[in-house]
Amino acid sequence: METEVKEAQGKIISAENPEIIAPTDWQPVIIGILCNWCSYAGSDLTGTSRIQYPPNIRIIRVPCSSRVDPWFIIKSLQSTADGVLISGCHPGDCHYISGNYYARRRFLVTKKLLNFVGYHENRVQFSWVSAAEGPKFAKVVAKVTEDIKKLGPLHRFKKENF
Amino acid sequence: MDYSKQIQEIASKLFADNKIDYFIGYKQNSFDDSQVPILISDPAEIPKLVFTDNSVFNLTNYLKPDHTKRKRVGLVVKGCDSRALNLLFTESQVKRENVYIIGICCEGVLNEKREKAQNCIECIMPDPVVYDEMLGTPSGKKEYTINVDIKELAEKSLTERADYFDAIFSNCIRCNACRHSCPLCYCAKCCIDQETSTLYNGANTSSGAMHALMTWSLHLAGRCVDCRNCEKACPSHLPLHLLHKQNESVIYENFQKHLAGIEKDDRGAFYKYSLSDPDDFIL
Amino acid sequence: MNVFIVETDKTGLQKFYEEIIGKFETYAPVEKFGKYDYKRVSKLSECDPDSPIETTMSVKPLFFPKTAKVMKFTEDSSGTTVSETNDDPLTGKRVILGVKHCDARGLQVLDQVYKWDYVDTDYQKRRENTLIISTRCDKAGAQCFCTSLDYDVENSDAHDIRIVNGLDGKIYIQAITEKGSTFLQASGIQHPASVNDAVEEIKKHYQSFNASFRLKMNYTEVNAKLQNLFDSPDFETVSSNCISCNTCAFICPTCHCFKISDEKIKDTGVRYKSYDSCNNGYFTLMAGGHNPRPVKYRRWRQRAMHKFVYFKERFGVNLCVGCGHCAISCPVNISIFDVVNQVAKV
Repeated sequence: METEVKEAQGKIISAENPEIIAPTDWQPVIIGILCNWCSYAGSDLTGTSRIQYPPNIRIIRVPCSSRVDPWFIIKSLQSTADGVLISGCHPGDCHYISGNYYARRRFLVTKKLLNFVGYHENRVQFSWVSAAEGPKFAKVVAKVTEDIKKLGPLHRFKKENF
Repeated sequence: MDYSKQIQEIASKLFADNKIDYFIGYKQNSFDDSQVPILISDPAEIPKLVFTDNSVFNLTNYLKPDHTKRKRVGLVVKGCDSRALNLLFTESQVKRENVYIIGICCEGVLNEKREKAQNCIECIMPDPVVYDEMLGTPSGKKEYTINVDIKELAEKSLTERADYFDAIFSNCIRCNACRHSCPLCYCAKCCIDQETSTLYNGANTSSGAMHALMTWSLHLAGRCVDCRNCEKACPSHLPLHLLHKQNESVIYENFQKHLAGIEKDDRGAFYKYSLSDPDDFIL
Repeated sequence: MNVFIVETDKTGLQKFYEEIIGKFETYAPVEKFGKYDYKRVSKLSECDPDSPIETTMSVKPLFFPKTAKVMKFTEDSSGTTVSETNDDPLTGKRVILGVKHCDARGLQVLDQVYKWDYVDTDYQKRRENTLIISTRCDKAGAQCFCTSLDYDVENSDAHDIRIVNGLDGKIYIQAITEKGSTFLQASGIQHPASVNDAVEEIKKHYQSFNASFRLKMNYTEVNAKLQNLFDSPDFETVSSNCISCNTCAFICPTCHCFKISDEKIKDTGVRYKSYDSCNNGYFTLMAGGHNPRPVKYRRWRQRAMHKFVYFKERFGVNLCVGCGHCAISCPVNISIFDVVNQVAKV
């Protein structure tokens, strides 16, 4: 991530650290944690349908959105990620019956706490994407990438650089 | 508020009837006017027991097997402490028949500056929610109010909050006193202490402290009873209640006004769900 | 003992501090979240070097840091390359203000460990490049008992420069070591005409200081008795309310246990050395799974014996320096003074 000051218009300023400025062609790194039964299958469908979506997302597969512990999110944000997307089955469709109901409670509290501590609220986003929703997944990734691009590089609470 | 005499009488009777192996109460500190926990197994030490408004430490912490080895225990609890008991019973950490509970209707304890402690001013349940014997007159459940510090912080800008928390996390010395003094942190091996240090940073860096403290507060969310043991134990005097109270207020506002440990079968906010939980923040 | 002594007053002392802060990298007790700790200061107004309030941690983190990078490593197809970290250059001279007697004595005790079987060059460099200036010991604190532990406070050479608040209202700045004497002379500060009077006033100060101790221990008796009390059942009673939280070892001026952890991102990593505590349940956990000290009282016994018996046997000086920091910061206020006295039945 370059941080030289550019006089040209359209600068991207980091939301949490206004002194960090990135060039307009900066690309964010987004970690996507997708549940195996719905969202991961849905993203597969997006690919086989040849629908384009931004390549910034790196996907990690988990058995259920309920597997996501808050520390995955925090660890990603402390490493090289600028944002995190977590996606699961629609309420009522969870392969394990009620996993996503527990997960959505945890998601809300985690999101609010991260915002309270000093992350912009759009750094961590959540979605329900089913296995048949190939186009929706592409739209979700495009939206999240766009949001994080506007927020600029994340420099807060990062692991101490070596 | 002084229940020293009554507690000494009850403890004597419990030992005389051979109902308990340990009695956990408070004794006078040797160098100032505060009170500290004492675990008595010899009835000769009963005269040391006191209870006043300097009896702050949440004694349910000693129900972990490390301290009382799952034996029969007599225990003094205030309102907030007894909420932790409800959670410990439901989560199968302590057997109800192994604990004889003396519940005190608390009038608030004092902090280091000898003023009424903040969590006592904002107390929602001064009466014991579970007890075998109750001392004092119950005053009923109080109205929940949002903690003043988090209200103040929520009004600041994002960068100001981030700077403030940066200072907190870099002052943490990773001593783990907060976890060890919390009654609801009873995992035999905490995830933070795993030897595979690629999961958590074992070193005392600021990012490691942030990771550990944030994860700890989220694992405790919906179960924290606001006893402030963690804050009192912290040698760096970090305002840890900010994280816990923030989670508590989000849970209260969004999940049917849930407060940890008030109901008898409570297992914390994250062990249940409602079909009408908010999910408008989810795409 | 050097007799280069300067007599001054409050204003003179403030000027002396300001001069030091202006010229050197200076550390002093700074308040944060209601407690004091030694931090780098750039102005006198940021710190309070004369405050009698206890700092939470001693001066130890400035010599044995709570986290230190040991090395860097990079992995590639040809193998692993190890390199130095440019973490702490240790080349600059620095000054620490407001160091109490117990903290300075703690450094002298730590010196024994760090030049023993393996000479820790980082620690030695930090010690050589640091000047220690004291004040703040006018009256003993509620948990202080340094004078009981074979420590002659008046004739101690733990500090380089000592600042004594005389009972006559004057302030005496006394150089104790060569380093301190050179420093004081170079600072250009004037010295009094009558050195004998100053020495008298300093003597009187220490008489009053020694008399102000609430806690006094019969150290020789405690040390002798403890040597045969390893199997005493009293260890279990005295440690029953300990919560094994590691606080006492982290803030002790002489505890020196550490752990090593590796931190990696992609192909590069750093090895860290950070504080550890024998009070931790997993301190003695070995690779095979065996843990000799799984029970709380065994760990407390180890702590008490190391502080008052084993270290003295090996190095001739007591490991505990009687500062009382542990009792004040302990969440349940366990005092090692009470513990050893109770076990030794003294």
